[in-house]
Amino acid sequence: MQLPSSLLENAVAEFAKLPGVGKKTALRLVLHLLKQDVAEVQHFGETIAKMRRDIKFCQRCHNVSDGDICSICANSMRNRQLICVVENIRDVIAIESTQQFNGTYHVLGGIISPLDGIGPDQLTIESLVQRIEKESIEEIIFALSPNIQGDTTIYYIQKKIHHLPCKVTTIARGIAFGGELEYADEMTLARSLANRLPVQQYVKG
Amino acid sequence: MLQLQKLSLTQFKNYDWQQWLFNERIVAICGPNGSGKTNLLDALYYLCFTKSYFSRQDALLVQRGKQGLRIEGNFLKDDNKNDIVCVIRENNKKEFSLNGEEYKRFSEHIGKFPCVMIAPDDVELITGASEERRKFIDTILSQCNAIYLQQLIDYNKIMQQRNSLLKAAAEHQRLDDALLDILDEQLTGLGQSIYDQRSIFLQQLIPLSIEAYHSIAQKEDGLSINYDSQLHNRSLKELLKENRQRDLYLQRTSCGVHKDDLEIQMHGQAFKSIASQGQRKSLLFAMKLAEFELLKQQKGFPPILLLDDVFEKLDATRMHHLLEKVCKKKDAQVFITDTHRERLEKALTELKVHFQLITLDN
Repeated sequence: MQLPSSLLENAVAEFAKLPGVGKKTALRLVLHLLKQDVAEVQHFGETIAKMRRDIKFCQRCHNVSDGDICSICANSMRNRQLICVVENIRDVIAIESTQQFNGTYHVLGGIISPLDGIGPDQLTIESLVQRIEKESIEEIIFALSPNIQGDTTIYYIQKKIHHLPCKVTTIARGIAFGGELEYADEMTLARSLANRLPVQQYVKG
Repeated sequence: MLQLQKLSLTQFKNYDWQQWLFNERIVAICGPNGSGKTNLLDALYYLCFTKSYFSRQDALLVQRGKQGLRIEGNFLKDDNKNDIVCVIRENNKKEFSLNGEEYKRFSEHIGKFPCVMIAPDDVELITGASEERRKFIDTILSQCNAIYLQQLIDYNKIMQQRNSLLKAAAEHQRLDDALLDILDEQLTGLGQSIYDQRSIFLQQLIPLSIEAYHSIAQKEDGLSINYDSQLHNRSLKELLKENRQRDLYLQRTSCGVHKDDLEIQMHGQAFKSIASQGQRKSLLFAMKLAEFELLKQQKGFPPILLLDDVFEKLDATRMHHLLEKVCKKKDAQVFITDTHRERLEKALTELKVHFQLITLDN
């Protein structure tokens, strides 16, 4: 692409580094910014720079945070003896938007996969174990993706903490809400049958 | 009963455009080398398996200098008409549809229209490395049992993870024992289940293969086939534990069901080193016929049989017994190719079966 200005070209190149953004989209975004007031674009740039510079990660749960401790961990209304273990920050957002969980989180920062060069050391597993030891945690709930690496991670952590008096659970796997039974894949259906629920519990849901 | 009635090829391999109607249960195809006999069978195979038997790349199936191809087949299955169409577009995008409905996942199609191909290169199954024989077993088992396929995929994934961990341990001179324990546990459950299913399956496959060999060869030849697995005497758990030091040194998993094999012997010696070419081929046919039998039992109707160039290397009597077995005693649709028209015609006439003869020319 031939651009008339090297300033423009640099800006386009920066935008094109973002995930899911190609050269053409980048140009469209840059040309849009060019139409805005100088002050507004200044604000735009500063917001992003400030976000990256000032953001912190919660020392307790490794969630993103404005201070040393995130708003969820600091909230005294939340049950701090209950930890939900998730892979990344997006999972925290997903579970928070259900408004059904009143405990705290622990963000692992990934799942164990030696194939991708991710071992337990790269994750925040050690700090989770320490939390369980020191904060007398009653239950941890694993909310990890239902695949082999997720299972490996769960088993690994469970083994690390099996000497501690902490209940270990994982989110249920089975038929999705609003789904049609006939369209469920065989593995899911088989698993739902194996882990079926008493109707009483189901109705209370 | 499964039967192909019509096949149309457009820009497939050496065919510009061609259409055949098949009105007999036995279809004999003859023509000189390079006239497209095998391509015709491969097109049929493609419609059953959504991929070629010979070529890994779909792009190689397109006629030279052209773009895109189309394979269409009209099958009759239990008196219902089924139209299977495969189109590869100019941009190599593949579309596959059954009765006008396009598949989202090609794997859903596999197993619906079973067929068994026997081609000369398949002799690798007898002479090649153990991988070929595992692939043979796994392909049949997977077609009959979707859970087996999933377990096999998972087993291989975990083994890859384990091997990566072993490599990383060697690089960094440090090993996370706890993680290796976990991977071993995961591998054990799946491996043991795969072993059990293979054992049961081979108890059916092996006797059928030996029986088929006897009826082709009309003699014993001292043939024996055994399932060879490290899991026969030890559990996978014990094996992994005992070999951990060795695995760390080798940086890969040295034991498990991925080392399984079929041990084929003739008079107590390795079959592949002493058997003649004709004997090898007889055994190959026998094992493929056993596959055919098992699929038939599983599906409740016989798969289509594709015999490519089977007349090579077999003597007249063995050939006669093979043809008698497939053409007379089975009720499947059979496609046979040969370069010699007279030989093919004579062999089939001797059997007193109705057949259709298709002659291809360059």
